[in-house]
Amino acid sequence: MIQADLVTKQRLTFISLLVLIVLTVATGLGLGDASLSYQRLLPTFFGQGTFQEEFILFSIRLPRIIITLLAGMALALSGSILQGITRNELADPGIIGINSGAGVAVAIFFLYFPIEVGPFLYLLPISAFIGSLLTTSLIYIFSYKRSSGFAPIRLVLTGFGFSMALSGVMIVLISSSERQKVDFIAKWLAGTIWGTDWPFIWAILPWLIVLLPFTLYKAQRLNLLSLNEPVAIGLGLAIEKERMMLLLSAVALAASAVSVTGGISFIGLMAPHIAKALVGPRHQLFLPIAVLIGSWLLLLADTIGRNIASPDGMPAGIVVSFIGAPYFIYLLLKK
Amino acid sequence: MVRLYTKHLNIGYGERIIVKDLSIGIPDRKITAIIGANGCGKSTLLKAITRIHKYESGAVILDGKNIANENTKALARKMAILPQTPESVSGLTVAELVSYGRFPYQKGFGPLTKRDYEMIEWALQVTRTSEFKDQSVDALSGGQRQRVWIAMALAQDTDIIFLDEPTTYLDMAHQLEILELLEKLNVQQGRTIVMVLHDLNQAARFADYIIALKTGQIVKAGSSEEVMTRDVLKEVYQIDAEIGRDPRTNKPMLMTYNLLKGVTI
Repeated sequence: MIQADLVTKQRLTFISLLVLIVLTVATGLGLGDASLSYQRLLPTFFGQGTFQEEFILFSIRLPRIIITLLAGMALALSGSILQGITRNELADPGIIGINSGAGVAVAIFFLYFPIEVGPFLYLLPISAFIGSLLTTSLIYIFSYKRSSGFAPIRLVLTGFGFSMALSGVMIVLISSSERQKVDFIAKWLAGTIWGTDWPFIWAILPWLIVLLPFTLYKAQRLNLLSLNEPVAIGLGLAIEKERMMLLLSAVALAASAVSVTGGISFIGLMAPHIAKALVGPRHQLFLPIAVLIGSWLLLLADTIGRNIASPDGMPAGIVVSFIGAPYFIYLLLKK
Repeated sequence: MVRLYTKHLNIGYGERIIVKDLSIGIPDRKITAIIGANGCGKSTLLKAITRIHKYESGAVILDGKNIANENTKALARKMAILPQTPESVSGLTVAELVSYGRFPYQKGFGPLTKRDYEMIEWALQVTRTSEFKDQSVDALSGGQRQRVWIAMALAQDTDIIFLDEPTTYLDMAHQLEILELLEKLNVQQGRTIVMVLHDLNQAARFADYIIALKTGQIVKAGSSEEVMTRDVLKEVYQIDAEIGRDPRTNKPMLMTYNLLKGVTI
């Protein structure tokens, strides 16, 4: 029972964001160290380019852009779910230990399982995924009490504690290892989109294909969960079960993104927040918007990041933080 | 007839037991009021019966089945609950919030059926909230907002409706308005109403059955004639009460009272 003018507004916002993303993609495709002029973009895209042009477009820029877009979507969706189930506007995949869990797993794997570069690249996202899943499970177990069940506020506090503790573990791990290896881990933590090859798309895409429709299907339940707990129970929502399933979805989404992009925070916080400001708090309406905002923000951050500093560029995670940290402070002050 | 009753119910928060070994039946198609001093466990009892708070042991039986084992959505088609003063709902319109009451009937992506729209319309009408159905709930006054929440519970179309202090924060006229609405639902449609009330005279005037609690145990349960007595009120509230008759309704009425001497509350 949503008013028609709100739906129209949401449609318009959706289309505007799509246009914005297409424009940013087009701009990003033509930017970079190797030259590929804007006039040559379309011909190359349709198979009229030279070998070099095709290589730049299809093997370097396009996969990276697609991965960035997908990761942004997954992070935004994950943040939206978390804010709904914890009824906390400041919730972000980072607070339930996704980033720190994945970080520790990557560090341990990188430092103590020396294997060849080939398989290593593909095992790294898997280890990051397992690391964040383990961390979140622990946080869930620790924040569950038999008498009163699962309280969102305890999840947030326990998650925060775990993040701190795991950061400590990271320091211990890093400080005792070789400089060269530390560099990679430090870059990973800063959120460099490092998985920039087509196969890495498969680390994120399947999760999105399954969990995006699933979350939209659960939109009304998310509305009820973020409304008021007793009211939700009274209306017949099995809140423990729903929360558990939605939490798992959020973890899978964020972990899959982080495993390819490194530790990126703030997207999951900002995207749902901006989306709610644009189209209101109904999950049916703001989820698609949040997903697009997330992918656009991360793409923008990465496009700026990889062109701003030579030769390696600046990690997207750091560029995001430049926007995200002030936004976070603004939110805190507004509260 | 009794469809709903509790069996040896023990309810607590962590280590602290609030309600002890409580067995009581809720009379069908009647208005029941739960009364008692602050912290006596009235709200806790209501929450346990409506599965909002998990109890330690015992059982709540509805239609011969333990509600702990029942499908929660199916239960929501039998009983609705209006918790104590729900917080703000950030930006939802009145009609939207009321439409949430149809959740127990929705399937799949949850498009509203013709029946859903009829029930929402009806709930808005009886609570006289149709006139601002497109306004934001947050923009309403306390009394209006309370009526909207009641409309949501009514849209749930249940035989049993629970309300936790439905008149708190309302002025006298709005309190009466809510209680008369509940009375109408009970008399005209035979809905069972169970509510926690603070005002004894309101309980005596509107309830067919009063449950008086003290430290989680029943002091007296029965008609207003049986519960509104000097002895019961002395026990429940530690007061020395003067009971008279309401000249209009002829129900028992608390005229005035003093604190019992030598008692610290």
